[in-house]
Amino acid sequence: MKRIRSLTAAMALSLFALIISGCSEGDKAHIGAAGDAAARVYVAPGKYDEFYNFVSGGFSGQLAVYGLPSGRLFRVIPVFSVDPEKGWGFSEETKPMLNTSHGFIPWDDFHHPELSMSDGSPDGKWIFGNANNTPRVARIDLSDMRTKEIIELPNSSGNHSSPFTTENSEYVVAGTRFSLPVPNQDVSIASYKENFKGTISFIKVDKTTGAMDLSFQILVPGFDYDLAHAGKGPSHDWMFFSCYNSEQANTMLEANASQNDKDFIAAINWKKCEEYVAQGKGKKIDAKYAHNVFNDKTQMASSEIKNGVTILTPAECPGIIYYMPTPKSPHGCDVDPSGELIVGGGKLATVIPVMSYSKMIASIEAKKFDKEIDGIPVLNYKDCLAGEVKKPGLGPLHTEFDGKGNAYTSMFVSSEIVKWSLKDFKVLDRAPTYYSIGHLCIPGGDSKKPWGKYVIAYNKITKDRFLPTGPELTQSAQLYDISGEKMKLLLDFPTIGEPHYAQALPAELIQSKQVKVFQLKDNNHPYVTRSEKDCRVERKGNEVHIYATAIRSHFKPDNIEGVKVGDVVYWHITNLEQDWDVPHGFAVIGNNNSELLIMPGETLTLKWEPKYPGIHPFYCTDFCSALHQEMQGYVRVSAAGSNAPLTHN
Amino acid sequence: MKRIITLAAFVALALGGCSQQKAEEGAAGQPAEEATKAKPSYYKIQHVDVAPTVDPVMAKAGADIFDVKCTACHKLDERYVGPALGQVTQRRPPEYIMNMILDTETMINNDDTVQCLLQTYLLKMPNQSVDEKDARNVLEFLRKAGDERK
Repeated sequence: MKRIRSLTAAMALSLFALIISGCSEGDKAHIGAAGDAAARVYVAPGKYDEFYNFVSGGFSGQLAVYGLPSGRLFRVIPVFSVDPEKGWGFSEETKPMLNTSHGFIPWDDFHHPELSMSDGSPDGKWIFGNANNTPRVARIDLSDMRTKEIIELPNSSGNHSSPFTTENSEYVVAGTRFSLPVPNQDVSIASYKENFKGTISFIKVDKTTGAMDLSFQILVPGFDYDLAHAGKGPSHDWMFFSCYNSEQANTMLEANASQNDKDFIAAINWKKCEEYVAQGKGKKIDAKYAHNVFNDKTQMASSEIKNGVTILTPAECPGIIYYMPTPKSPHGCDVDPSGELIVGGGKLATVIPVMSYSKMIASIEAKKFDKEIDGIPVLNYKDCLAGEVKKPGLGPLHTEFDGKGNAYTSMFVSSEIVKWSLKDFKVLDRAPTYYSIGHLCIPGGDSKKPWGKYVIAYNKITKDRFLPTGPELTQSAQLYDISGEKMKLLLDFPTIGEPHYAQALPAELIQSKQVKVFQLKDNNHPYVTRSEKDCRVERKGNEVHIYATAIRSHFKPDNIEGVKVGDVVYWHITNLEQDWDVPHGFAVIGNNNSELLIMPGETLTLKWEPKYPGIHPFYCTDFCSALHQEMQGYVRVSAAGSNAPLTHN
Repeated sequence: MKRIITLAAFVALALGGCSQQKAEEGAAGQPAEEATKAKPSYYKIQHVDVAPTVDPVMAKAGADIFDVKCTACHKLDERYVGPALGQVTQRRPPEYIMNMILDTETMINNDDTVQCLLQTYLLKMPNQSVDEKDARNVLEFLRKAGDERK
């Protein structure tokens, strides 16, 4: 049966290849991996991978950290979703990170990681991420791989064209995939064309601290702004966004938004926007949004609800935005290492259009506009076109670059990666993916200087590639060697959630910067306990604060009496260890909360509301030493209203 | 108790250290600390100058560090997680103490005395990221404690 199925699959595949490439005789050698694949992805025990690969978790809301070429998973960084394993969103310190103008939200959909850049190259400082559902942008510090900041975007929804950064990460951008009334209000959905607008947000990033600030938003026609990439080199001042639904359909978009032959790539001159903002041309409107910051010194997050954003309107600010017509419902929007070529992934198009930055500028200077939409000049497709990749395959989505003059485009419908030349736009090679590739990634592949050794495919469907696990199967990544003329499949590896975009960079850029422990002397947590002699238990009305420490292998105090039913107990636990890789965990029976996982030198707080009188054991959840099993304690809980005095050892 | 012995045997096996006869006594409940005739293995600090009398300023500074970084596991006059340290300067040379604080892992892996102690206490002493100056002050504090317990 199995053989029949794989035979069918193989037949279907060769049929596909036949249809698509117009008879490139379905190369059997490509179906499996290259002969020496095992040796090329083998990283011997104790040896390190060459690259870090940061892969979005999609609907998991998190960011996964893999090594390449091995495909080994090292860490899942909690970002937009709670993580009980790490206490993310459960500890008092981290709860504010998931606050929004809608209140606390335990989940989101993380699509695109983007490394911070200096001079168009990843600098290893931070990685940004977008929340698609409740629009937010997160900043993760690459020195400790923790989420440090999350900023919400008002006047936005379906935050998909995000969080792409300009050449020196001056700004991180975010655009609406789902347009809305701005400001949002109670109107008929049928009034879409009249009332619904898109916004493109520019978030300023502090060069030293990484701190984000919502600088301004551009009010744009109610299309779906889908993906973006920054200009670089000559196009430094520009940001490019693909958009579809220029039809402005508000129902059955799969048909109604696929009518027009061409949609657009929006080219935005952010330098010009800055000038208008400086001149006071922006209009400040009310807009509530949360800005959450984790303070490394106090080891606590805080959330502030801010109000007001500066809006730029294209009709009042000429020169900030132009539309380049692009066939047809473009998805990816990728700029080559030179900054001259802008590749649109027209998912319904039969070609891959490659636009020219210099031609675009020439058209703008000559004022060769076909028309205007809401004050936005529309350029002429042919005038801006550098060339088209003909017969690339079906469903081109995203393009990355190897820095050697080649581009690699993912083809969703025909399940393949197509390699083509930036010189003459000719297809050079194609490799099947298993199956339905979405994004792809080359280390530094969207930067000025790609490390063009591998391309990784991120696939939506795995069907028969792994041992089955019921109806829900893993999604996957596939690693291809691109050092030679032909792409060679080396490895399949499963991913968490649904992988969308990913970024990769050489390990040496961040490996040596990794924080090993938090220095106890620098721990300014308001509830820190730096020494066992400072351990104590304090009552404030019905709040009980336990100042406790953990070190191999005991808690201090480990016997506490006098807690009462109705009390709200806060465990403030400081890990006194100052050695790498010695976390302690903490859990107490019956707690309607997660565990704590406390790194050396860190203080974390767990809230506990005991419900019944009696003895409540607690223990260390992370195997910390040979005497880990002994790392336990008891809390005696008395009835509400009892006179039990608060004591501890 | 049986478990501790098994565990101790395992540790000895794993490390292959503790060549001293008395180690087994240690595992059986008697302090292995007395068995300290083995060759020391110091890598980081080869020599420590100590004055004949204790420097009170350094000892005070050392006491503060000791409070924060050491007391979770060490008391001066009784065994706690680790050995009592009130008279440690009478048992060990200053170089041993400095290396144990500053180069903990190397000492655990190489020093015969430490390997024997591990069989008694079963916990590897953590490196507490103390710098050399602070470690020297801790040593001075321990010398003061030693003088008071002569």
